[in-house]
Amino acid sequence: MSSTRRVYLDHSATTPADPRVVAAMMPYLTERFGNASSVHFFGQEARGAVDRARREVAGLIGARSNEIVFLSGGTEANNLAIRGLCEAVEPHGRHIITSSIEHSSVRGICEALEKRGWEITRLPAYEDGIVKVEDVRSSLRTDTVLISVMLANNEIGTIQPIQEIAALIRQERAQGCKHLWLHTDAVQAAGRIPIEVEQLGCDLLSLSAHKLYAPKGAGALYVRRGVRISGQNVGGHQERERRAGTEAVPGIVAFGTAARIADEELSVRNSHTAGLRERLESTVAERVPDIVFNGHPDRRLSHISNISFRFIEGQSLLISLDLEGIAVSTGSACSSGTLEPSPVIRALGRNDELARGSIRFSFGKDNTVADVGYLVDVLSRVAEKLRSLSPLNPKAMASRRFPQTVGRD
Amino acid sequence: MPYSEAFKDHLTNPRNAGELADANAVAEETNPVCGDRLRLSLRVVDGSIEVARFLAYGCPPTLACGSVLTEMIQGKSVEEARQLTRADLLNALGGLPSHKQHAAALAVETLRTTLESGCSGLLSW
Repeated sequence: MSSTRRVYLDHSATTPADPRVVAAMMPYLTERFGNASSVHFFGQEARGAVDRARREVAGLIGARSNEIVFLSGGTEANNLAIRGLCEAVEPHGRHIITSSIEHSSVRGICEALEKRGWEITRLPAYEDGIVKVEDVRSSLRTDTVLISVMLANNEIGTIQPIQEIAALIRQERAQGCKHLWLHTDAVQAAGRIPIEVEQLGCDLLSLSAHKLYAPKGAGALYVRRGVRISGQNVGGHQERERRAGTEAVPGIVAFGTAARIADEELSVRNSHTAGLRERLESTVAERVPDIVFNGHPDRRLSHISNISFRFIEGQSLLISLDLEGIAVSTGSACSSGTLEPSPVIRALGRNDELARGSIRFSFGKDNTVADVGYLVDVLSRVAEKLRSLSPLNPKAMASRRFPQTVGRD
Repeated sequence: MPYSEAFKDHLTNPRNAGELADANAVAEETNPVCGDRLRLSLRVVDGSIEVARFLAYGCPPTLACGSVLTEMIQGKSVEEARQLTRADLLNALGGLPSHKQHAAALAVETLRTTLESGCSGLLSW
């Protein structure tokens, strides 16, 4: 039945704004309202705040301030990275290597470029959800200009070998391939694992504010010094000609503050979410039969757990949990009557049933041990009920009647 | 949340779930587009549906439609059950979003197939 208790376990979708972040941005919605491009006092006050936020965001990933381009979010960052780079380097080749488990924004951009004649190689992620560097090497062609592989996956949290791919690119460059670049979507990874762009070796890196306890509407693209991209928004000089349009100062200030706090609290948050996740996975394994954990057991972000429940469709489990106040997500979607099992879970080699029955639990800094206890209690009960209805469940088929269901004879 | 209280009630407390061991009409249909499945088993005595049970796999509307369908047909004559329409199911559930109405279509189709299976196999109807 409906419940007043609410447990939010969907922090990979978005996070609540941290009160410290909201406090930092508020003045820029009110008295400090200037346009950062204006030369007067009001404008310079806003400019100073944007510059400070740029240093803070750069600090989170070990970049220089002038390598950060502020945008509206992760999707725009991925668009600017891939389209912007591809347009700039098109004379040198029209081949992109990406993975089969990218976020829908990267998938969508690659599909759009494919329609315009670009060739895309999509690397497998295998059963553990991790791309192999050898596959990148064997897919390289003389006309490959971009490799775009996410730093950590949004559904299963697996961390990809970006540093190793970057090393491969350096070898290729040393052998004369001057026009080969590496983009990584770090929207899920940022603030959850330490990132140093120099060590990572990527040329472009996407970030989003609202995954870091800042409001929606801000993001950034790291563009390594010397890498040229074509701006996709034109008609203004903002962001060093790479993104025209008045800077969204309050959101940028919030992003900067959230990035600084995320950097400071990274290890505390990590050990907290890792503990909750461990508790979830061990108790679910004890109490719920017929489940499959998705993704590499260790090489993944500490806050994500992805579990497939046999005999159950993900949407039904999601809604049943929601009716008990628990918010999770599923990669599968049933929209307009079309079956869309999670493409990420399918890419792991799972069958349609497991891909349709996958649920992502993503923890945040404010979740508690009691949240996990409540989740597991509800989950075991709801999963058992849905399975008692399922024609895929051999036990349901064999049985005549289920005591937990209501009926009349 | 676009779902009605009636819908949520059927999802939370499904009616008549299971499989009848002594059914004399059974059928299972699959929506070929989305993969949702509905299985009905009925015990028909003297032309009326004495007991109905359902099993369902798929999105929440498919589950709720299975549940409400069994509730609506139990005690009805086969002829009355044949008259049941998608609109009847949708009304009983307080409506469904348009992109989820295929669940009601699957339920009605499964009911018709189940009744057919009974008709061809049981001369006593």
